[in-house]
Amino acid sequence: MNTLTSTPSTPGSRRQFLAGAGAIGAAALMSGCVTSSSSSGGGSSSNGGGTVTLQSNLSSPQAKSAMQDLVAAFNKRGKVKAGLNTVASETFRTQLPTYLTSANPPDLLTWYPGSVADTYARKNLLLDVSDIWTRPELSGYSDALKKLCTSSAGHKVFVPASYYWWGVFYKKSNFAKWGVQEPTTWDEFLALCETIKGKGVHPIGLGAGGGTAWVASAWFDYLNIRVNGAQYHRDLLAGRHRFDDPEVHKVFDTWSQALPYFDPNGTALAFQDATTALLNNRTGMMLIGTFFADAAPKDQLGDLDFFRFPIIDPKVPAAEEGPTDGYFASARTHRADEVKELMSWLATAEAQEIYLKGSSGTALPTNPQAKDAGTPLVKKGRALIEGAADVTQFFNRDSSDALQPTADTALTKFLARPKEVTSILTTWQRDAQKIWSQ
Amino acid sequence: MALVTAGRLRRRPRGAGRVPPLVLAFVLIPLLAEGFWVFWPAVQGFYLSLTKWDGISPPQFIGLANYREMLHDSVFHTAVLDTVLWLALFGGLSAVLGLGAALLLQQERRGVGFYRAALFLPVVFSLTATALVWQAMYQPDGLIDKAMSGVGLGSLTHPWLADQSTALYAVIVPALWRQIGYVMVLYLAGLKGIDPALYEAAKVDGATRWQQFRHITVPQLRSVNAVVLSVIVIDSLRSFDVVWALTRGGPYHSSELLSTYMYSTAFQSLRLGYGSALAVVIFVLAFGVIASYLVRAFREAD
Repeated sequence: MNTLTSTPSTPGSRRQFLAGAGAIGAAALMSGCVTSSSSSGGGSSSNGGGTVTLQSNLSSPQAKSAMQDLVAAFNKRGKVKAGLNTVASETFRTQLPTYLTSANPPDLLTWYPGSVADTYARKNLLLDVSDIWTRPELSGYSDALKKLCTSSAGHKVFVPASYYWWGVFYKKSNFAKWGVQEPTTWDEFLALCETIKGKGVHPIGLGAGGGTAWVASAWFDYLNIRVNGAQYHRDLLAGRHRFDDPEVHKVFDTWSQALPYFDPNGTALAFQDATTALLNNRTGMMLIGTFFADAAPKDQLGDLDFFRFPIIDPKVPAAEEGPTDGYFASARTHRADEVKELMSWLATAEAQEIYLKGSSGTALPTNPQAKDAGTPLVKKGRALIEGAADVTQFFNRDSSDALQPTADTALTKFLARPKEVTSILTTWQRDAQKIWSQ
Repeated sequence: MALVTAGRLRRRPRGAGRVPPLVLAFVLIPLLAEGFWVFWPAVQGFYLSLTKWDGISPPQFIGLANYREMLHDSVFHTAVLDTVLWLALFGGLSAVLGLGAALLLQQERRGVGFYRAALFLPVVFSLTATALVWQAMYQPDGLIDKAMSGVGLGSLTHPWLADQSTALYAVIVPALWRQIGYVMVLYLAGLKGIDPALYEAAKVDGATRWQQFRHITVPQLRSVNAVVLSVIVIDSLRSFDVVWALTRGGPYHSSELLSTYMYSTAFQSLRLGYGSALAVVIFVLAFGVIASYLVRAFREAD
């Protein structure tokens, strides 16, 4: 502003200039140009030759090449052509609202079903794909998946492709050496921790440091669905309960019983380094999703096994975390029919097997006819989710990406200062309220 | 305020002749470009700070509510305190140490170029890449902890970045490591500009080294100080990459700066209105400090 106002030479022209600048500014504010600017940026879709753009956040080397195989296989089929555009996952996450509101958007995007997808569906940003759910490719899908992919308005807006599971992972050789068994209840779990601690090993590794603070939310999710049940958990994350309720306090009381057994470096190491600590016998167990296998050496995978998160209250039906990945399409796509063609093909057993073969192979296909990797670990994981009374997604997927940072702050603070739990929960509720009231 | 002085400086009689169109074009075209790419988005930012916006639906005008929220936002208070601390420690130390390094390395001696290059080298690296290296060093069982255990300080080893009492300081170190080289180069250029005759005259008069520094070097560096101050204030307030790469403002906001808080509010919590209000605060702070200094500098120049 300083430079602007001192440029004109005479006072008269300066005043006129200022008036002009003010008028332009005011006019622009009135016409709401500020918002329209958001729809012009970011759309990186190609318009050439009617190709369907698939914008993918799967940027790790294995997953990226698996996606390339997938798109190549689709293009071999003829008629409709697709192009893959891989974006770094962090960029993808922050740019997703821009992609969806763009006037010339990427046609199809990788993301998550459930509450996260519904946030966008409620703003009419997602393509209604109810008709492809009646096609043979998707007819065998489970009712749970159908529900998960339906928006609150009753439209199907998502096509799932794969899912994975969370469990308490450990090394079989270590459990044999220590002469211990997998626990099934919380008391057995605490006793096991005590035994492992007696061997001079930190019983529980975490991996909530170095940019992966969200891993701690798995503990909150699991404790909450074991203590209060899956429905309470979803309601809490949707803002229908409060984080400073006595039910949530009970979750943290239970967590406190296990805190002495956590690795003191739990909030200093990223989950990849925490995986290394588990493999190098510095920690005994770790609650983690199967994606950690990407960071583990292949020859060590055979020694890994997992058990279900222990039961705390036998009256509460045992739900599991089974985060589902897949695709949704932008409502503003110019190629709706072609996109639906690609989406229904991505739901086939053929497509899902191509992807699983190329990726690390610990994910499970959503198509009941598709074959998984077939290792004992994957079989056990599939049985875990198929036998679950209810399936939750994960903290951010059951709420919104915007709520995740509030959990990261609250849980990291709880791990460092468990005695301040009351004030932590009050702050968490206040921070969450700001997100819910958006 | 700067406007008043700028006006005073220009008060000199002008010819009544018309400005040639070419000159007008040279002034207006860059002004238009600047207006479109700089001032226009800035005005939008101001407007957004008066709204509630999630980046998808149209923004809702809510007046000054975002600014009122700041008054009661404890994270904002932490961020302001940390930013002040950052400005004092990062700014103060880089100015003092940069000047010290420049004084040490100003004489042309054998091998002095090597040391200058070594100190300047961190400026060349990307700060995000630098931060990744430092992150590995700060890790439990990383280089720093290993070195401390090696010299018998094992009891002091620490998860440096994960402890709220050390996180902010642990982040300042890599930022300083880079900034010192930059400030040193600015001061080296300033020192080169001082007339050696001044020092010779002082020596003839029997001035001590300290007196030479106090009465010749410091006053002669005044113009460089203005540049260094602006650079330091701007760099402090926009320090973001190194903090974000190392701690993301955590653990639980203990190393939060205004810049990281602005980013996480706007792009993680998707509260773009409140994020814009934070950006306006950062702008006012930076502009206030620099403008008041420039006004003083111009006054002294008169």
